[in-house]
Amino acid sequence: MIEIKHLSKEYHVVKKEEGFKGALKSLVTRESRVIAAVQDLNFHIKPGEIVGFIGPNGAGKSTTIKMMSGILTPTFGEILIAGKDITKHRKEVVQNIGVVFGQRSQLNWDLRLGESFELLRHIYQIDKKQYEETLDVLDEILGVRELIDKPVRQMSLGQRVKGDLVAAMLHSPKVLFLDEPTIGLDVGSKYALRKFVKEINEKRGTTVILTTHDLGDIEQLCDRIIIINHGKLVEDGNLDAIVDRIAPFKTLVVEYFDDQIIPSALGELIETNGNIAKYKFLKHETTAAKIIEELSAKAQIKDISIEEAGIDDIIRIAYTGDCRTQNTYGIHW
Amino acid sequence: MKQKNGNVYFYVYKTQILKSLAYKFDVYGNIIMQTIIMIATAFFWKALFRNATMVKGVTVDTMMTYTVISSMLSVVLTTGVERRITDSVQKGTIAIDMMRPVNLFKVFFAENLGTVTALFFQNLLPIFLIGSLFIKLPTPSGLPELLLFLLSLLLAFFINWYLSVIFGMWAFSIIQMDALIQVKKHLIRLLSGSMIPLWFFPEWLRSILECLPFAYIYQMPLTIYVGQYTKESLVRGLLVQTIWVVVLFTIFRFMEKRVTDKVMIQGG
Amino acid sequence: MKYIKTLTHYFEVTFACIRMAILTIVEYPSSIAGWLLSNPLQFIVGFATIQFVVQEFGEINGWSYGQLAFLYGLSVISHALSMIFFIQGWFMGYYVLEGEFDRYLTRPLGVLYQFFFTQINIFGITDLLPGIVVFLYGCHKVGFAWSLQNILCILALLIGATLIRGGIYILIGTTSFFTRSANDFGQYTQEIFDKTTMYPLSMYPESLQFLLTYLIPIGWVSFYPVSSMLGVDNGLTGFPGAIGLTFVIGIAVIVVAGIFFNYGLKKYESAGN
Repeated sequence: MIEIKHLSKEYHVVKKEEGFKGALKSLVTRESRVIAAVQDLNFHIKPGEIVGFIGPNGAGKSTTIKMMSGILTPTFGEILIAGKDITKHRKEVVQNIGVVFGQRSQLNWDLRLGESFELLRHIYQIDKKQYEETLDVLDEILGVRELIDKPVRQMSLGQRVKGDLVAAMLHSPKVLFLDEPTIGLDVGSKYALRKFVKEINEKRGTTVILTTHDLGDIEQLCDRIIIINHGKLVEDGNLDAIVDRIAPFKTLVVEYFDDQIIPSALGELIETNGNIAKYKFLKHETTAAKIIEELSAKAQIKDISIEEAGIDDIIRIAYTGDCRTQNTYGIHW
Repeated sequence: MKQKNGNVYFYVYKTQILKSLAYKFDVYGNIIMQTIIMIATAFFWKALFRNATMVKGVTVDTMMTYTVISSMLSVVLTTGVERRITDSVQKGTIAIDMMRPVNLFKVFFAENLGTVTALFFQNLLPIFLIGSLFIKLPTPSGLPELLLFLLSLLLAFFINWYLSVIFGMWAFSIIQMDALIQVKKHLIRLLSGSMIPLWFFPEWLRSILECLPFAYIYQMPLTIYVGQYTKESLVRGLLVQTIWVVVLFTIFRFMEKRVTDKVMIQGG
Repeated sequence: MKYIKTLTHYFEVTFACIRMAILTIVEYPSSIAGWLLSNPLQFIVGFATIQFVVQEFGEINGWSYGQLAFLYGLSVISHALSMIFFIQGWFMGYYVLEGEFDRYLTRPLGVLYQFFFTQINIFGITDLLPGIVVFLYGCHKVGFAWSLQNILCILALLIGATLIRGGIYILIGTTSFFTRSANDFGQYTQEIFDKTTMYPLSMYPESLQFLLTYLIPIGWVSFYPVSSMLGVDNGLTGFPGAIGLTFVIGIAVIVVAGIFFNYGLKKYESAGN
């Protein structure tokens, strides 16, 4: 569905100088330098996938999604959507995509929601019958018909997001881009949004690309995640596989009967709190049972639990640097 | 505490100067636009005076000085405070803004002074130079006139400021403020003597306008500067100007209190 | 065939946009009342000051009061039309800075078209009323004959004048793509237009007339076509067929502005917001 080849993006950034002198100086001259926001991205997204883009702010994920939705033109490289280059055939290709920018609405603030839909119906040339059918399907998932006569300015944020989601799906696009969709939403609205994404993906086979900082979004929605940092693709794949590869550890939490904490030869003691100690160990080198055996030989253990490395570890590792060089993050043997 | 707050306003003043200095293109664009307007106005009067040397006791030379100084005044008398207030109401941040431990209107005033200070160097001096070169060196009719002009200008600045804040504060009671702000802008543009001095208006209209505050923003300081006054009209004019400052200040304080109460009760 | 389809598509969307604009009025009756107070006031008082000036100085550069009213009225009408369709041009800097063009780029229509037509400023009709009143007054004073030919001339003039104004708003607004600042020159633009289209251009020095005739075509918004229509002195060498020229220049200006805008948009597409 989406084919990205050697995608790169460079920006020219104006140097700003500080203080009065700088401000006066910048009246006369301005210097600029080139920064690479995205460097040589290559990936392929199949129809019906839900792909989450994650990475810290300024890592290049917004730039990437903007290039994929036709807003920015790449400096180098190609983006094919349903086989067509979006840079060259923008007006044609955008018929196949829907875009929702979190916190930025495309609805007319002054009028009832239905009027915004009506305009979109004309913009995307959807005939009345098909419009009604699509609306029925979307209404089943989101319950949007009850909002259709309400002026947008009187809606809550959650209702407006519903409106925006439906607005982006009215022309039945093959690909839906969501940029930070759950930002600022309450729990109920987040749930509704995730349900919507899952269901349009299942029922209509829509390919969904989303950027997010919300772990819940990724865990509940994404079959596949792409991690971008410093403009480069650092990880691409199934969530569990990535966890296995870049955070191949578990944490054993041991509660002792008294305050005497003992170190382990097999796992690293990373945290102590009273009579509770945490040991981190690599999954493929040892097991929790072996550590427990080692420790219980020396002291009396009251309780144990095991923490799996999860998506938050992935994010932390990815955000703090190139994770390939940090395979054994925090673990020193 | 007082000292500390004073520093806050000075800080706002300073940052606003920096902000205003930041945009190169805006500065040049503004100067070019204002220069075109000034030169067009000057030639407007030149064309009108082609067949007359003196109309209503005014010569073409006087009108040239009037035009240059009026253009310079329009730089000093800019205020964006209505915009600031309506923006903060529309975005719904007014409550937070007003609960801060600084006086919001003093912050706006400091911002305004900052803008004017930046504009003084960026726009007023260039306009003065271009006006002097291409139109006429705008000399005052004498030293006492210059001093009285500065006094009157100070009063005019406050009238303009209070009018703007008062109109801006109406945003609390009326949702669609834009139109009202435009009304005020047009009234000042047309009835303050900034373009056409009230000397050329019919007698009946002039006596009405001399009771309204608008004429005391441009017409009064300009009249003093070009020396187009009698002792009696000068004393009366300055007196009315002062009265307007006091009246507008009182209205402002009254509205400020009402608005503060309203925000405190409703939370904005 | 493909072009006809595209054209009908644009017409349908335009129609939907106009419908939305009218619905907005219904939604905000108090707002339209506010503008109905503000805008006519501006132009009626503005026109009154012309009368005061004429009273004191006699004619303005050979133009009688009635002729001035005719000129002023037409100028306000084309101003109003430009406010309805092109006012967004004044705020282009804001759209650039806030990244508001992103939305238009993800839709299958021209960006410039969407920018103006999806948000027609219906409140601009409040400028139209005083313009029509003053214009009709001027027609009465100069004894304007309402022949079919004259009516067509007025229409051609208004279309040309509106496009010239709109084109200039676009040209000025497009500079925001390069400067990346949200300053709007709207107020200055209007003041300059007022000074140069509501009075006879011939009262200004020849250098300025030259500038406003050949470089910035503001002279064509009202002065040349009206002076040729009324048979009054028209400053620089007489232009035959000034009304037709106004129409042609209007189209030329809007085309040039469109090209410049698309060039600016390229910059936006490569740099983002």
